[in-house]
Amino acid sequence: MPSNRTTWVLLAYRLPREPSTPRSALWRKLRRLGAAQVLDGLAALPLDARNREQLEWLAEEVAQAGGEATIWVGELTSAAQERELAVRMAETVAADYRALIADAAAAREDPPGQRRRTLGRLRRELRRIRARDFFPPPERELAQQAVEELAVLVEEPVQ
Amino acid sequence: MRWATRRHCHVDRAACAWLIRRFIDPEAEFVFVDDPDEVPADSTPFDMRGAELSHHGGDCSFETFLHRYELADPVLWEIGKIVHEADLADERYDAPEAPGLDVILRGLSMVRDDEELLALSGPLFDGLYEYRKRALLLGREPA
Repeated sequence: MPSNRTTWVLLAYRLPREPSTPRSALWRKLRRLGAAQVLDGLAALPLDARNREQLEWLAEEVAQAGGEATIWVGELTSAAQERELAVRMAETVAADYRALIADAAAAREDPPGQRRRTLGRLRRELRRIRARDFFPPPERELAQQAVEELAVLVEEPVQ
Repeated sequence: MRWATRRHCHVDRAACAWLIRRFIDPEAEFVFVDDPDEVPADSTPFDMRGAELSHHGGDCSFETFLHRYELADPVLWEIGKIVHEADLADERYDAPEAPGLDVILRGLSMVRDDEELLALSGPLFDGLYEYRKRALLLGREPA
């Protein structure tokens, strides 16, 4: 049966409770990739070559830390549950975009030199968020605009 | 010697293949497989799960090669930082070249097969090596 569902790549893992360092490192890496935590020990990303490879490396790290990990490729059978998952992932990045928009607004009041440095930082941050944004929320456009407006302000010649 | 890695090479594998040919085994032949189980018995696997020459302790495979073969050339370690960030983007290093290198190799991998990708990216890494070498000698960006 043809399907227009998202295909997911999943990391199923179990890590010892202690030491907690590999746990928090894994959590940070999953968050940077934009993975959804489906359950404790099950993280999902839309399937593409990069996401699959990144999860495979994390599986390797789990094994090296004395845990167990397997990589799965699959689909949700329920369209409603797939929408819920996508909405949850979109909400997570939307919050990141909103924080960036607030930073861009605050930077408008900064002295020019500091404003320029903040612009560089926010551009990098925007790129990082976009790399983990698989279901773009409206905040994505707004964040892009906020950074571009700040760029215009930085480029304005000194009177 | 024969070396085996996963099909559909990206930046880390392309950089490793260049490193192998230029610094480890000039006669290297590469085999591309879909699964670690398909690695031919007479070949050395790299950049795949379970291989010795792969990601370790947060290092990418290129960095693992530098450790294992005790390649002390500081230019190679500079390239290692760029490859690490292009592959993993975990901000362990400051490597502004990385996002560009990632895009160039990812794009190349969309229009060329693995053999051609390695053939084309070889001179790219030769150039990167020469540039970083001159930068190191000069103490600033060369031109």
